[in-house]
Amino acid sequence: MDFLSPVLAGFGVVFQPDNLFYCLLGVTLGMLVGVLPGLGPAATIAILLPVTYNIEPTSAIIMLAGIFYGAQYGGTITSVLLRLPGEASSVVTAIDGYEMARQGRAGAALGIAAIGSFIGGTISIVALTFVAPLVSGFAVDFGPAEYTMLAVLGLLLVTTIGTSSVAKGLLMALLGLLLATIGQDPLIGTERLTFGSDELLDGIDFVIVAMGLFGVGEILHNLESSRRKVPQPIKVGSVYPSRKDLAESKGAITRGSVSGFLLGILPGGGATISSMVAYAVERRVTKQPERFGKGAIQGVAGPETANNAAATSSFIPLLSLGIPANATMAIMFGALLLQGITPGPLLVDEEPELFWGVVNSMYVGNILLLAMSLPLIGIFVRILRVRAAILAPLTVLITMIGVYTVRNNVFDMFLVIGLGVLGYLMKKVGFEPGPLVLAFVLGGILESAFRRSMRTFDGDLSGFLREPIAATLLGAIVVLVVLSVLRAVRTARKKKSKEIDVTPAEHQPADRDEHRDRDPAEHR
Amino acid sequence: MTTAEQDARPSAAYARRQNIIAAAVPLAVGAIAAVLSWQLGIGDLADPGPGLWPLIVSVAMVVVSAVLIVQSAPTGEEERFGRESLVVGVGVLSLLGYAFLFELVGFEIPTVALLVLWLKVLGRESWRVTIAVSLVASTAIYLLFIAGLGVSLPHIVHF
Repeated sequence: MDFLSPVLAGFGVVFQPDNLFYCLLGVTLGMLVGVLPGLGPAATIAILLPVTYNIEPTSAIIMLAGIFYGAQYGGTITSVLLRLPGEASSVVTAIDGYEMARQGRAGAALGIAAIGSFIGGTISIVALTFVAPLVSGFAVDFGPAEYTMLAVLGLLLVTTIGTSSVAKGLLMALLGLLLATIGQDPLIGTERLTFGSDELLDGIDFVIVAMGLFGVGEILHNLESSRRKVPQPIKVGSVYPSRKDLAESKGAITRGSVSGFLLGILPGGGATISSMVAYAVERRVTKQPERFGKGAIQGVAGPETANNAAATSSFIPLLSLGIPANATMAIMFGALLLQGITPGPLLVDEEPELFWGVVNSMYVGNILLLAMSLPLIGIFVRILRVRAAILAPLTVLITMIGVYTVRNNVFDMFLVIGLGVLGYLMKKVGFEPGPLVLAFVLGGILESAFRRSMRTFDGDLSGFLREPIAATLLGAIVVLVVLSVLRAVRTARKKKSKEIDVTPAEHQPADRDEHRDRDPAEHR
Repeated sequence: MTTAEQDARPSAAYARRQNIIAAAVPLAVGAIAAVLSWQLGIGDLADPGPGLWPLIVSVAMVVVSAVLIVQSAPTGEEERFGRESLVVGVGVLSLLGYAFLFELVGFEIPTVALLVLWLKVLGRESWRVTIAVSLVASTAIYLLFIAGLGVSLPHIVHF
């Protein structure tokens, strides 16, 4: 009963009117940004960080979490109705979802996605309730050596799994680590790489990096690319799937819940990868693979269930280890720090109200989202008509003013514009901001942990091998590096044997799909 | 993939050139950072100085950038810079102006000006939409930040 009493007390926190309100606000915002293509949950959370500063910590995190998993529901709508995925995690849904919509079964696709999302999300919360405290308990004794290895492993997983090019991901991660060193030395306080600027003495605030790269960067990029016409959405019929639809999707939803939960925990995993893996799994287990791509309901149910399960379970490494598993979680990490809370193994015991309040709020959030995606879906479909030209100046203004409010400092506004330009340029040349932001957050942890372990080991690098857990993690790092080198060699060989008669833009996604299909082991 | 996105795909030669530049810049940044870190004093492994960690990171950056220069073949993720990229330039300049004026004249006038520019010029909205959205948004920002959250923004309108 000892274990359950704080969990139950968490429900008390959730049902405070304030927290219910912020939960509703969060999931509604999440649905909205999910529906609006271009503005992702990471950008939205980043933009809203300064606003949450004035809200009570538990409420703030409940709201931001709501945006994150709410966006997974909303992203489905544009995928199905317009074949424009609102979120990266709904890209594969567009394949069969849009096909179903063209056959007049848009309602069934949206309905099964909502139901699958709800089941996947809820199963994942239940599992999180039991797994997160276990991981915390295990990690309480972690010292600097373990944290060094954990952070390196996390970064490598993000750069190898989450991105299309390992070298590009790695370069972004390194740039993030370098940016994190600006300011004072964490151990002895020497001024580093500040170019004599007083404003840089405290380092660059994480909020500014996140708002610049995700917020301003995305807005600038959309400014250029959103000058296209948005197609008319397809009419939605009844959103309640038939008994046959449900029977056909039962297996997909079960498998999606499990794979989504597992992949969400992994650093670098998360919603996008898990939806792709779930799609590949469904295509493999089905008896009629020829139906995929032609409106198979499993192709919607599986990925949509998985991305929600993963969105929820990706909170586990953040809340129990203090290591964010993906870019959005890195921003949540920043949000917690902004509130004066350092996420880590002690969080469950030291802040049980926050921990269980946030976790349990997800049950309520998922119920609210189910209601929004079934009976209220018409409202959100109508939002598709909001033009990007109106949205862009509003988001950019909230970003600029929000940045100013963090430290009442105009210098930060210039910094966010600079980082926004960097984010825009990165998008243009095919670099992803995720690894950079994640590395920026982990940079401080990694450097301090590394230097502390070096002092303990008296400068002897082999000291890492004498700590069993650190050595195990190091082993995992070695395996990962070997696997990615092998994969790079194989891709290079395949490229050579293949004539380059297809334009790269067209063959790339299919190619990536094949990889996922063939060696799912690499994603572990 | 929409057609607009496919239009943005550059030719192979263009993409390769762009990739090389995109790798050369971080290479230079890494090299400069390595020199600066070296000057900070690196100490030794048993007692690392302030420059050791940045040095490790910047050397790694140089190495990875060099690898990227070698692997400059187009990946299909590059987008070309064209006439429409000018919009972004105008957008950035307007943001710089906004930040510059923000503390000098308060947030109201720059906010309205930025909204009008982005809606009317960059967004090609009608005057009716521009004026309506600008007024509503400025008021909403005032209410949200100054009245609602109690943030001290520099402002000239007082109630």
